[in-house]
Parts: sequence; structure tokens; C-alpha cells
Amino acid sequence: MTQPQKRDQGHWGAWAAWRAQHRAAASTSWQKLVVQPVVTAVTWLVIAISLALPSTLLLTLDNLSAVAGGVDRSPQLSVLLTGDSELPVAEQLQRILKSWPEIDDVVLLDRELALSQFIQQTELATVVGSLARNPLPHTLIVMPGPALSAAAMTELGQRVQTLSGVDRVIVDTRWVARLETALQAGWRWVLALGAVMLMGAVLVLGNTLRLAIEARKDEILVVNLIGGSPAFARRPFLYLGLWYGVGGGLVAALLLMMMTWWMAGPVNTLFLLYESPQTMRAPGAFYPMSLTVLGGSLGLLSARLAAGRYVRQLVSLASSQNR
Amino acid sequence: MLMIEFDRVSRRFGQQDALRNLNLQIDDGEMALLTGHSGAGKSTLLRLLLLLDRPTGGQILVDGQSTKQVQGNAVGHYRRRFGVVFQEHRLLFDRNVRDNIALPLEIAGFSLHDTNRRVRAALDKVGLLAKERADPNGLSGGEQQRVAIARAVVARPEFLIADEPTGNLDPALSVEIMTLFEAFNQVGVTVLVATHDLSLIARSRHRLMTLAAGQLMQAGVA
Repeated sequence: MTQPQKRDQGHWGAWAAWRAQHRAAASTSWQKLVVQPVVTAVTWLVIAISLALPSTLLLTLDNLSAVAGGVDRSPQLSVLLTGDSELPVAEQLQRILKSWPEIDDVVLLDRELALSQFIQQTELATVVGSLARNPLPHTLIVMPGPALSAAAMTELGQRVQTLSGVDRVIVDTRWVARLETALQAGWRWVLALGAVMLMGAVLVLGNTLRLAIEARKDEILVVNLIGGSPAFARRPFLYLGLWYGVGGGLVAALLLMMMTWWMAGPVNTLFLLYESPQTMRAPGAFYPMSLTVLGGSLGLLSARLAAGRYVRQLVSLASSQNR
Repeated sequence: MLMIEFDRVSRRFGQQDALRNLNLQIDDGEMALLTGHSGAGKSTLLRLLLLLDRPTGGQILVDGQSTKQVQGNAVGHYRRRFGVVFQEHRLLFDRNVRDNIALPLEIAGFSLHDTNRRVRAALDKVGLLAKERADPNGLSGGEQQRVAIARAVVARPEFLIADEPTGNLDPALSVEIMTLFEAFNQVGVTVLVATHDLSLIARSRHRLMTLAAGQLMQAGVA
């Protein structure tokens, strides 16, 4: 009975003891989650929503960026001729424009060819067949020289517009520029939203853990009295935070996959509208793994912040109360 | 051999002295009783010994070493040399009897095999082997206190400290608890019991120290 415990531990060793303590803390914390299924489910869901929403938006933006990146962004003009302009008029305009020094090349899109391509892509042969005449005009794709500024492009467009037989001039790069600007704004918005939602998750986790610590106040005080270190007292709560975080991350991954599946239809239609051959990318392994790691890290961080501070407060409060 | 020595120890709270120039010694393997009225300084003395508080004057020596040197992580190691029993026994009611008793072993990092062996040995000593998996809520006050004693001795501490361990128990159970302390003392554990239970004091043949107004008034066999 009088033998000090260090000698009694004998062959067991510090490393094995440390592992045993971690195993016990991890297992006890997991059991605490299991016996409170509603609290656990709600906490997982809150973390999952905080992680899944920004990551779904990130994945969408990632897909849209690929569309914008895949588009040929060399500046060009689409010159739509009037509906009554015949092919010889179009060919004459092509020759005129080709002779302008600031223009590199002009390609003529025959309206009959354009209509057959439209039918092929949209499968609207019946509808198109019911029309009295081809509604598409002949189109000239004008490719100016590389050094042309945005202002010069606008000026060129205005000059082309004045030519006889020209109905409308479209600067084709505008939609790409708009998409890019929208995507840039989107990235920033998603990052800001993500930061706010992650902060919310940390606060929710911190509060949940604070309540868990409060509920196990007696245990912390007893551990302190019988020689447990602050690290030993904190450990179960760190594991609790980790389980909450990892569980939330896994649920977030599941939500992300469900949302991706749900959004794939409209996003793929959008790709088609932008003439992109790609389809919406699935989250793959990267997103679920990142979400799980991020969730676990958030859980640990929240637990470290909440437990570190609150356990210290409890221990010092216990010292003053025991007087 | 001297184990615990209070050398002119004072503890002042504001203008009030809880302990004043206290000199006190407890030898290795001794069992001593500490008594005095409420507010005499018994709990303050035990708190100082367990490093839950620090003296404002003097020093406490344990095995010849001043507790002033025990700081930071060393405090936990120091406290593990003590088994502590409280009046309100401080069991954890979300753990069963076995897990309550195993807590000091878990802190000290014992293997599961050693933990189970020691828990059963401690339960056997306090006569509760049959209650190993019981919920502490279902135990009587005396049984709960015996579980607390088992928890205090399971890691085989050098010192057993008890603060009013029989305060909530009837006289028969109080005698039973004191008998347990004596049994542990007989196998070499140094025991210090703070109590104001006069019947226990009258029955005891161990050294009695009486505190009054933070000073040791009387020391001798009860």
C-alpha cells in the first residue's frame, strides 16, 4: 500500500500510458455523443450546413470558371446581316471587311448551314420545319488584329454597323467578360459567406462544448483534486470537439453530394447554353475529404478554445469555493 | 521519519488569519486526527497540504521538500501521492462504481489489466466487491463513502487525507469508516483525518491535534 505508484506501473511505460489515456478519452467522448443522439444530430447538422453551403457554391463556381476559362476570348465581332440579304451580298461584305487594315480575318456563316447546325443541336426539326422561311440571317465573324483596344473595338463595331445590309453588330467577348466579373464577385461572396458560416460553426461548437463542460463540472473538479493535469481534464472535450467536427464534416460531404446531384441538371443546361461540352464536375474525393478534415480541425480548434479557457476558470473557481 | 511538516505556516484572507504561525508534524506511517470548531482552519490546512491554496507565510515540507518548489505540471504529480476523502464524497454519478474507483488509475496511466485488478482489490478491502458495476445513485450513504475511500486508496497513495469523512453518516457507519482508515494505516499509509465528531475522537487511540483560531492548541493522544 505504501509503494509509490510510479514503481507500480513498472513495464507499462509513459508512452503506453499516454496512449491508454487518449484511447479512454476518445472512447468516453464518443459514448457521450451516442447517449445524446438528438443533441449530436443537431450539432452535426449545424456544422454540416455551415460547411456544405459554401462548398456547394465553391464547387459551382469552380465549374463555371472552367466554362469561362475554356472560351476563346480573342476579341471578335458578330455581324448579323438583314434578313433579306442574300449570299452574294454577304460575300461582298466579307471581302470589304477583309480589306480593312485593322481586321485580320472574316468568316462567313451561311444561314442555311447555321440552321442545320441549330436543328442538330436542339432537335427542334419539327418546329423549324413548320416555319415558312429560315429565320436566321447570314453572319460574318470579324476577327480584328490583336492590338485592338476595347475602345477601338467599339469604334470598329460602330463603323461596321453603318455598312449597307448590316442589321446588328455584337461584340462577342462581352458575355465572357461579364461572366468573369460575375465569377470574381461570386468567389469573393462565397469566401465571405464561408468565413462567416465557419465562424458561426465555431461559435455553435464552442457553446455546445461549454455546455458539455458545464455538465461535467464535477468530474473536472474531482480530476483536479486527485492529481489529473489540466491536459487530462481537457482531453475528453477535445475529442468531443473532434467527433462533432468530423461528424459534421461527413454529413456536409453527404449534403454536398446530394446538392450536386440536384443542381447538375440546371448547371449542365447552362453549360450547353454557353456551348461548353463539359458537364458538372462531381465532388470526387477531394471535397468530402477536405470537408471532413476541415470539420475535424474546426472541432478541435473550438474545443481547444472553449475547454482551455473554461476548464481553467472552473479549476480556479473550485479553489476559491473550497475555502 | 518525518513526512509532513508545517513550519510557521500562515494563511491570511484579507484582514483575517485562517492559520497563524502553525507548526505541525506528521510522521511516516502515523495516523492523526485533526479537530476544531468550524472556521478553526482544518479545511484551510488540508487545502494547503493538497496545494489547492498556498500559504501567505512559512512553508510546508513533504519528505523534506518545500511545497513552494512544486509548480505547474508537478502539482498533479504531487497530488497523486495523496488519497483524498471528502465529507460529500464527490462521486461521479454518470459513472458506475468501477469507473469512479478507476479514475485515479486512469490519470496515472495504468493499463486496463492493472486497473481492473486494483479496482477489485480496493473494492474487496471496503467490502463492496459485489457492487462493482452498480450505479452510485443506488448506494446508501455509507456505501458511497466506502466507494470514495476505495477511490482514494486504489492508486496506493503515500498519504490518506480525509476531510470530515463521517459528517453525513450515522454513528455505526462512522465507526466502520474509521476502522477502514485504521486498516489502511496498519499497512503503512500515513493517515490524516479532519473531524469534529466527538464520539470518533473519544474512541480513537491516535494522536489528536486541536486547531483554534488558526493555531494548534493541543496535541496528544485522544
